[in-house]
Amino acid sequence: MSSGNGAAPGPPPGSGVVPALGDAALLLRAEGVTKNYGPSIVLRGLDLQIARGEVLALVGDNGAGKSTFIKILSGFHAPTSGTLYWEGRATVLTSPTQARALGIETVYQDLALVNDLTVAQNMFLGREPIKRVLGVLPLTDAKAMRLRTREFLDQVGIRLASVDSLVRDLSGGQRQSIAVARAMQSQPKLLIMDEPLAALGVREGAHVLDLVQEIRRRREVSIILIVHNYSQIFQVCDRINFLFAGEIVLDVATSAITEEELIRMVKAGLGAQAAARPAGSGS
Amino acid sequence: MKNLTAAAPAPVPAGRPPVRPGLGDRLKVLIRYPETGITAVAIVIAIVFEALNNAFLSSEVPVLLASTAQYGLIAVGEAMLMITGEIDLSAAKIYSTTPFFAFYLSAAGVPWPAAVPLALVGAAGIGWVNGFITVRLGVPSLIATLGMLFLLNGAILTVSHSQPARTPESFINVLLGSDQQNAGTGISQIAAFLWLVAIALAFAVVLRRTRFGLHTIAVGSNLLAARELGIRTQRTKILNFVLMAVLAGFAGIIEACASGSIDPSAGDNTLTLYAIASAVIGGTSLFGGSGTVIGALIGAFVVASLNDGLPLVGAQAGFADVPLGIAIVVAMILNIKLTALRVRQV
Ligand SMILES: Nc1ncnc2c1ncn2[C@@H]1O[C@H](COP(=O)(O)OP(=O)(O)O)[C@@H](O)[C@H]1O
Ligand SMILES: [Mg+2]
Repeated sequence: MSSGNGAAPGPPPGSGVVPALGDAALLLRAEGVTKNYGPSIVLRGLDLQIARGEVLALVGDNGAGKSTFIKILSGFHAPTSGTLYWEGRATVLTSPTQARALGIETVYQDLALVNDLTVAQNMFLGREPIKRVLGVLPLTDAKAMRLRTREFLDQVGIRLASVDSLVRDLSGGQRQSIAVARAMQSQPKLLIMDEPLAALGVREGAHVLDLVQEIRRRREVSIILIVHNYSQIFQVCDRINFLFAGEIVLDVATSAITEEELIRMVKAGLGAQAAARPAGSGS
Repeated sequence: MKNLTAAAPAPVPAGRPPVRPGLGDRLKVLIRYPETGITAVAIVIAIVFEALNNAFLSSEVPVLLASTAQYGLIAVGEAMLMITGEIDLSAAKIYSTTPFFAFYLSAAGVPWPAAVPLALVGAAGIGWVNGFITVRLGVPSLIATLGMLFLLNGAILTVSHSQPARTPESFINVLLGSDQQNAGTGISQIAAFLWLVAIALAFAVVLRRTRFGLHTIAVGSNLLAARELGIRTQRTKILNFVLMAVLAGFAGIIEACASGSIDPSAGDNTLTLYAIASAVIGGTSLFGGSGTVIGALIGAFVVASLNDGLPLVGAQAGFADVPLGIAIVVAMILNIKLTALRVRQV
């Protein structure tokens, strides 16, 4: 496990060089995060960090624990042990609401959309704007929700016939676009996307990647992106963290390695490296 | 994240160009409203009964409205609760217990402006227990409230020695603008119905236009999503159990006022079932997520019409349950099919 002032979690020897980050540049650091579901251990001491404005790819096999880790960052799960440092301060996330208030927005793998509510209602679910009717009655401001949804979807180039459609009636790609748009809408500091391209066609997927690229260019929002496709990763990400058996076993900048080298390394068995390490006895 | 307008072509194919809706389209839009079907049924029933017995609308309406009020108040609560994916089988027993709370408080010298609200707080407590057992302890609401049903039934029969009590005059005056003499007459019956209409309208607004209402739908439609977005799902559900109980308790107090007596056997369990039937034929699904409060109100009117109206037009007592039984199942089938059929607007 790494220690001390923002040193990168020890990349295996021979991997790309990851520049050490000063504390001011760090947005989030996870240290020694573990997570058990009852008897089964999913994360065993995960160290990860992300700088402001950085786009980080989190890769790993199905069942490696990516979504579990994401849900710890989003305040949904409490870690079994370990510490999160948010903007340099040790922070315990007790709920998704708290994480959202801090500026952590998540596109969950299951999208977290409610079929029986409209697009506009979904866009604001959990943080609906309120207007006081007759000075007291706290009603949701449906008009504002519709208007702001329409404006924002226009802005990011997502076209829907109506923001009053029930989410139930949308296609898979439209649903995914709405989930991504919802997370971006509140201008978070950290945007987490768990397989946001899964249900998207080539064109829709390219559009989401364009949006990521656009955000990256502005360097204001950090992104943790879970994607399986290496060429997509090299296209939009600054750094790759490889999760295996509950730990980050590879932390490398995309500029320090080529796609072919990475694929070769993965094939040669990052798993073997991890298994050789004392902590990662599972295989 | 502004100025992304220039980014890439639209990822999502544009919808149909906006065309002026023709009559066919307008009818299709109606399908989107779950209240449409039940409203049509209610109108047809009223017309048929009026045709068969032309005194129906003029003379029987107060009776009908009083029954509608009874079923409807509970149905509104059940509809909300069913939208969260839960159900309350103990409603009729809360309905019969709450007036006794008020009566005993009143007998102990508590004036009515306090006795009635305190009795409703008691009802709320029962609802909270139902909710707590369901949500926190993980007992299916069907079982949790079944237990509550028997518990309350036994308790109220024992405490009251199965004897009815006279409703205090002051309650009747205030709630129904009537008195002991006029209990059970047209004025009090219509007053009971007006209470229902006011409350149902309020709940319709609560469901669609408050955070609590939207969260109620979210919790029933996709519990995981609701949790992932930080909605307090347990609190939302428990609050719906509490509201259900308060509505059932209030229905009981209204009935005690309308009839002039507080009867421990008033809350027959079929009352709960009629209320659930009202919610279901009104367009609320037991699967959670979808439902309508106004539909439950109109559903209660249909159930009351069948129950009270069919005997008046010559059907045997008890026959009403036949069409009701069919209506419940047909409504549910339509509910499922219509969801699938619903015009894709996007
Ligand atoms: N709520 C849960 N309860 C128990 N086990 C879980 C739960 N969520 C995930 N798991 C298990 O944890 C492991 C990691 O899952 P997940 O984090 O979804 O992996 P990934 O997103 O990398 O595919 C899997 O073996 C999965 O079965
Ligand atoms: Mg996953």
